[in-house]
Amino acid sequence: MVQINFALKEVNCKVVFYGPGMSGKTTNLEIVHQKAPEENKGELTSISTDGDRTLFFDFMPLDLGNVAGMRTKFQLYTVPGQVYYNSTRKLVLQGVDGVIFVADSDPDKMDENVESYSNLIENLAEYGKDIRELPHVIQYNKRDLPNALSVAEIDKIMNKFGVPTFEAVAYTGEGVFPTLKTLAAMVLESIEKIDGRNPRKAAPEKAPAAAPVAAAPAPAPAPASASPRPVAAKPAGQGRAPAKQRGARPAAAGQAKGGQRRRKAGAPQAGAGRAGQRPANAGRRATGRGRQAAAPKKSGVGLAVGLTVTLLIAAAGVAYFVLGNPGF
Amino acid sequence: MVDSKPMSRNQKLRHDRLTFYKEDIDRIDKLLAEFLRLSGAKCALLIDKEGHLVTKRGELRTVDIDTISALVAGSFAATKEMARLLGEEEFTAMFHQGERDNIQLSLVGDRTLLTILFDDRTTVGMVRLYAGETAKKLADIYADAINREPADDAGLGDDYGADAKNTLDKLFD
Repeated sequence: MVQINFALKEVNCKVVFYGPGMSGKTTNLEIVHQKAPEENKGELTSISTDGDRTLFFDFMPLDLGNVAGMRTKFQLYTVPGQVYYNSTRKLVLQGVDGVIFVADSDPDKMDENVESYSNLIENLAEYGKDIRELPHVIQYNKRDLPNALSVAEIDKIMNKFGVPTFEAVAYTGEGVFPTLKTLAAMVLESIEKIDGRNPRKAAPEKAPAAAPVAAAPAPAPAPASASPRPVAAKPAGQGRAPAKQRGARPAAAGQAKGGQRRRKAGAPQAGAGRAGQRPANAGRRATGRGRQAAAPKKSGVGLAVGLTVTLLIAAAGVAYFVLGNPGF
Repeated sequence: MVDSKPMSRNQKLRHDRLTFYKEDIDRIDKLLAEFLRLSGAKCALLIDKEGHLVTKRGELRTVDIDTISALVAGSFAATKEMARLLGEEEFTAMFHQGERDNIQLSLVGDRTLLTILFDDRTTVGMVRLYAGETAKKLADIYADAINREPADDAGLGDDYGADAKNTLDKLFD
């Protein structure tokens, strides 16, 4: 949730890098930290395991500086990609203003990409957010893999809502800033559009008197059936950015994908192995957890089905008892 | 978590945006200064649940308030999840004890966290006592602010969008 603070003259936004394990989310943040000008960046903080896998989140503040008299800051977070960290992943999404989904271009990782994207949609829904209303972009990372799936193919699999996509080789820095820039523009445009207190900004729909402490008219959500590509129809910055921005592929096409993790020698291979060897039912585990979390909404139906089944079993038991004991 | 009932328009507005105006922050600052005087604590930070600083009073050794705020919000969010698993809605207070410095966190309203740093110049009992009172008064300020009609001239400047684009071009290109 964007915080606008007129006393501090600050605008604060929260951006989350989301995606499957080992897709390069932390690497993206490390590159932003390395390359951003000193005066614009804060410390990069990681809450990670001994094996250098993200446990809770990585965090870095990025100060855009003065924008029309307001100091505008982005708080950049990554989530832990591994399936079994869904509870912490969901926590990081709380109040998110924009998402960069980092997908892996490895053909063997498509299932994980799809599963993680579904998990994102589920977790956003837990906070009452519809992904089609949230500024988000997709980055196709690891384009230097020799067997990387073509962009057209990944697009078909991943880009359900026609959002801006970017090719990247995150550990070289390629594609990292264009991705962040477009997402940042989308988030800021959404802020400018919905300044609830100033009636001039409330167009096209007149906003009600906004609460002084907490207020914001949100753009009217596009109905799910209105368009097969609802997000593309949303003017949240996509008009400014090209739908796809693709950098030239680097010469080092044969580089190992494990190279995405540079923080500790050896860790990439181990991590990649773990991710690769994950049992096939791991995906169902994640989906199941999402469903569990959403269960209260369906509790009425579940209760009715449960009672019916219980009654049928009880009736069968009584019939069996009576038939088996003629003297009863 | 999502309420099963659809949100009203006003609820939706509150859900999507957190805005603080100067007159409200002035009142909050005065209250926090009074709290520090009574409790003997070193510093009071008001942070929203997303980890953004709202306002600050008192001395703080680190300059990286953004990171402190993000970590405070993260740890509070984690305890909320723990509370949920134990059948509580959320824990409304947390305490971290260090050798020299301690942190007391209290939930204020449903969206902000009062974060108090104190050392051995006072006691946790004093801090908790006054923090509880301050949290109630802060909640009253929020309620007043919500019910007050906003001024027409408050808002982001008309040129915010264009200026934001220029800033992004300069930073990223």
